[in-house]
Amino acid sequence: MKNFLISIIICFWATMAMAHSPLDQTTPANEDIITELPTEILMKFKADIRMTRVSISYEGGDSIKMDLGDQTNFMQEFSLLMNDMGKGSYLVEWRGLSADGHALNGAFSFTVE
Amino acid sequence: MPEALILAAIVTKFLLYLGVMLSTGTVIVTFVFNLRHTRSLTIVFSVLGLIATIFGFLFRGASLTGDITGMIDPEMLGLLWNTPVGTVFILRVVGLSLLFVGLFLGRIGIWISIIGGISALLSFAQIGHISGNKFALAEFALLLHLLAIAFWIGILIPLKRLASSSSTYIVAAKIGHRFGIIASVTVPILIVMGGYMSYELVGSIAALTGTAYGQALIIKVVLVGSLLGLAAANKIRFIPALSTGDPNAATHLTRSLFFEWIIIIAVLALTAVLTTNLALP
Repeated sequence: MKNFLISIIICFWATMAMAHSPLDQTTPANEDIITELPTEILMKFKADIRMTRVSISYEGGDSIKMDLGDQTNFMQEFSLLMNDMGKGSYLVEWRGLSADGHALNGAFSFTVE
Repeated sequence: MPEALILAAIVTKFLLYLGVMLSTGTVIVTFVFNLRHTRSLTIVFSVLGLIATIFGFLFRGASLTGDITGMIDPEMLGLLWNTPVGTVFILRVVGLSLLFVGLFLGRIGIWISIIGGISALLSFAQIGHISGNKFALAEFALLLHLLAIAFWIGILIPLKRLASSSSTYIVAAKIGHRFGIIASVTVPILIVMGGYMSYELVGSIAALTGTAYGQALIIKVVLVGSLLGLAAANKIRFIPALSTGDPNAATHLTRSLFFEWIIIIAVLALTAVLTTNLALP
């Protein structure tokens, strides 16, 4: 029963996270396993968004805010410089605003072996 | 975003619905039924609506940064200001302020209050998924839906007050009777518009039963259904009995209005959850 409830809650939260995530593709892709650490992360959206926050965490540690540089307009593609933290799993979380005023957010992860 | 912040945003939205619906509803029923002594009630709920509007805007800032700092981040709030969120904010603040100011301006004031209340209701049609639709029909449907709800919510407290004192039983029965006649038009409008918007948003039986949004919507409909049951009992049994001055009818009516009030609180709370967090199918 407990597991059943937990799975319901997880489904609930998963749908909530999907609510506004017009992320088209990322490099590295979600759940990719790669051999070499990329110098930058690319995110491509289906429509223009204004990115407001991107943070990255390494091996489940504290998340570090990434520098958006001059990418502070409504646009579809973003590239962010990576800090070299070595091999392991990375989680990128992003937040933004759609042109119609909706808050957007999502996350993707990848592993460097 | 931290869960406490999400919860605070939902509570704020609930208070916003309560404030806007009750202040606008009270102004409308005051006008329609020529009621007295409703000003302090309207003041309380319009101020509540104003405060919730301001905090609601700040919480949107927080959702852009994912933490509480977004609430006072000029960059984030400035960004929001230039989207429809900013327009909604202005419409709501101006609307509720007009409603408030109108309360102190005598006979002409009631018109200013009504215009203010309708502007505040209109602000809900400016954002959200309903307004994502191409046609203005959905926005018009939402406005009618909200007006009908405001009218219904607005009568509860004044009517309960009148039915609580034997000296005003007859007045309560008269107003209840007239409300029942008007509601036989406004309640079907409320239901038809709600049904139409649900169809636009959900679209299929599978999405209705299979998604969190659909399920929350079903609960909302069940609650509104029980509300209709209470309202029907009031209209058919208690109000006619009250017009003969029957104190038992008054007790039943005040109790029934109290339960209506509780259900409406639940419906507004559920709507706040529905419009804050749940994904559309």
